[in-house]
Amino acid sequence: MFLQIAAANKRKTVLLVLIMGIVLALLGFFVGELVNLWTGFTSAPQQAENTFKAGYIGFCVALAIWLGLLLTSMLGSDQLFLSLSGAKEVTHDLYPQLYNIIEEMKIASSLPRMPDIYIIDDPAPNAFAVGKSPEDSSICVTAGLLAICSRDELQGVVAHEMGHITNRDVLFMTVAATMLGAVTLIADSFLHSLRYAPIARYRSSSSKPGKGLINVWLIVLGFFLVIFSPILSRILYFTISRSREYLADATSARLTRYPEGLACALEKIMLSPEKLTTALKATAPFYITNPYKQDLEDSLFATHPPLGQRIKILRLMSTGAAFKDYVKAYWAVTHTHKELIAASDMKLGERITIRDPSPPTLQSPPGSRVTAGKAGDIIRAMNQFVFIPCECGMKMKIPPEFARGEIRCPRCNRPHTVKEADQQTMSAILATTSAFSKPAQPQDPLKAKTDALIKGYQEETRIPGTWQSFTCNSCGRIVQVSPAFKLPQFNCTHCGHLFKV
Amino acid sequence: MTGTIVFWVIIGILIFIVLYLITAYNSLIGLRNLVKNSWSQIDVQLKRRHDLIPNLVETAKGYMGHERNTFESVTKARAEATAARGVPQVAQAESRLSEAISRFMVIVENYPELKANQNFLAVQEELASTENRIAFARQAYNDAVLFLNNKIEMFPSSIIAGMFIFRKEVFFEIEDTTERTVPKVSFN
Repeated sequence: MFLQIAAANKRKTVLLVLIMGIVLALLGFFVGELVNLWTGFTSAPQQAENTFKAGYIGFCVALAIWLGLLLTSMLGSDQLFLSLSGAKEVTHDLYPQLYNIIEEMKIASSLPRMPDIYIIDDPAPNAFAVGKSPEDSSICVTAGLLAICSRDELQGVVAHEMGHITNRDVLFMTVAATMLGAVTLIADSFLHSLRYAPIARYRSSSSKPGKGLINVWLIVLGFFLVIFSPILSRILYFTISRSREYLADATSARLTRYPEGLACALEKIMLSPEKLTTALKATAPFYITNPYKQDLEDSLFATHPPLGQRIKILRLMSTGAAFKDYVKAYWAVTHTHKELIAASDMKLGERITIRDPSPPTLQSPPGSRVTAGKAGDIIRAMNQFVFIPCECGMKMKIPPEFARGEIRCPRCNRPHTVKEADQQTMSAILATTSAFSKPAQPQDPLKAKTDALIKGYQEETRIPGTWQSFTCNSCGRIVQVSPAFKLPQFNCTHCGHLFKV
Repeated sequence: MTGTIVFWVIIGILIFIVLYLITAYNSLIGLRNLVKNSWSQIDVQLKRRHDLIPNLVETAKGYMGHERNTFESVTKARAEATAARGVPQVAQAESRLSEAISRFMVIVENYPELKANQNFLAVQEELASTENRIAFARQAYNDAVLFLNNKIEMFPSSIIAGMFIFRKEVFFEIEDTTERTVPKVSFN
């Protein structure tokens, strides 16, 4: 029922889709007329009366092409798409945290049915949602995303995808994509067939005066449309796509009450050097960030708004997590007053306060060296590998093909028995990693605080040219540093704790 | 000729009004059911938390046997919460249970072996998720109530709401404001 919030926003999208439909219809009409003039499909007397019969036929053909494309893409199952992307379904037992987060978001958005959950074997961090209706949807995340995101960040990403589902973006984008496809198909095939067009015929049939002028207009307008309609529909398509992304971001902030989570996740995705290899081009708008064309980020032909801008907007939401707070931040960042979310949706008398971050015990420690291994472990766990920690700190990963029996640790030669593979949960696997590789330290919150006080400052490394967030050791809150900030040290904005970089 | 046109126009307008009435009524009913559903979702999650606590205590007992008081206070709070009837009593018992659990979690910080235990990690994740679910279920309930109340107040659906006597629902307030303040730490 979250749909209700976006009702007015939906109307705006419907309008854009309608304009695309009109472009398609006009193109069909004019191409029909042009084809008629070239080939003389209708007889000369009919042409003389300018009945536009050929135009109507062209219109119907264009409609039929679009409906055909729409039907095939609607009937094409999500299962097929998911298997093409190499996605594997996961259960609560295999990855409890992801399952829990999705169920939390399902509760928050009052979705009627729990979405199916999939993981893709890909080290590039990304996520997407499929499903034409909220009753039948799936959420898919890559192993890379699971590896680098903390619980709060994952929650932000999942909520963004949940926003796509509740706003019915997949449906909108499918309709828009098929229209774009139909327009491109008609315009291209017309231009290609021009090569073989018998132009002489047209000249011979336009003998009557008066009719010629109309034909000239037809030809001029027709060619104008043939050339510009694909570009126009493409711009419309990407405009729709970007506005749905903003809305999904706003929905994510509103659902989680914690915009910082999504902002941090997007930041990590932005900094990640990995690129998605399994993405299909047609499905790019469904991903959380565009898996393609990172260089075209700021153009009219981008499916997603620039990542840096999305992060900045989310971080500027200081007054609350409601839609109106998002729009305020959007205005401040883009210096415009565009109606991002329909005014009637913002009038809801709601004041939503931002919640505090989750306790650090639930946050997995970030760090690129640890996470590369973690992404691999997640993929291996999905493929029924068995993990055996050795006392020497080595973690053996046994493939499912391995005959059961005894194995010796390659480092210290201790014998281990390989048991029948029982599905292990990710928390168990990650626990075995941390239990042996790093001796667990007693973490007394008081002691940590006094340590920081004695030390007097906290050392962090900075990645140049980006926004970054640090957790303050003294008060536990998050401090954000802009790329413009160049000084070697700064203070926590909440408690004045000193940072050195 | 003009008579028949006027007749059909009036028929058209009437059909439109009837259709509108039906959709508006249905959406009000849908919203009311949503409010009920969200409320029951809160109950489901509270129940889930009660079911998890014995698990938590069992896992932790082996590691922190001498913290008898802590265990007892958690178990007692759970028993009270399961026994509580009526909204104000339930709310009170549940907030006491939340408090007991968070105190328990603070003590757990002193037991590194327990914190590395796989079963405990799993239970901790489930418990944290349940806490989140309770919060999100409340949030969804409040969202549903907001929509219903808006619909009841706003014209023209307010007419239908008045006709079929739809009542405004009450928001779920945060029971204890002190719960949200951070405890002070002094170094003296």
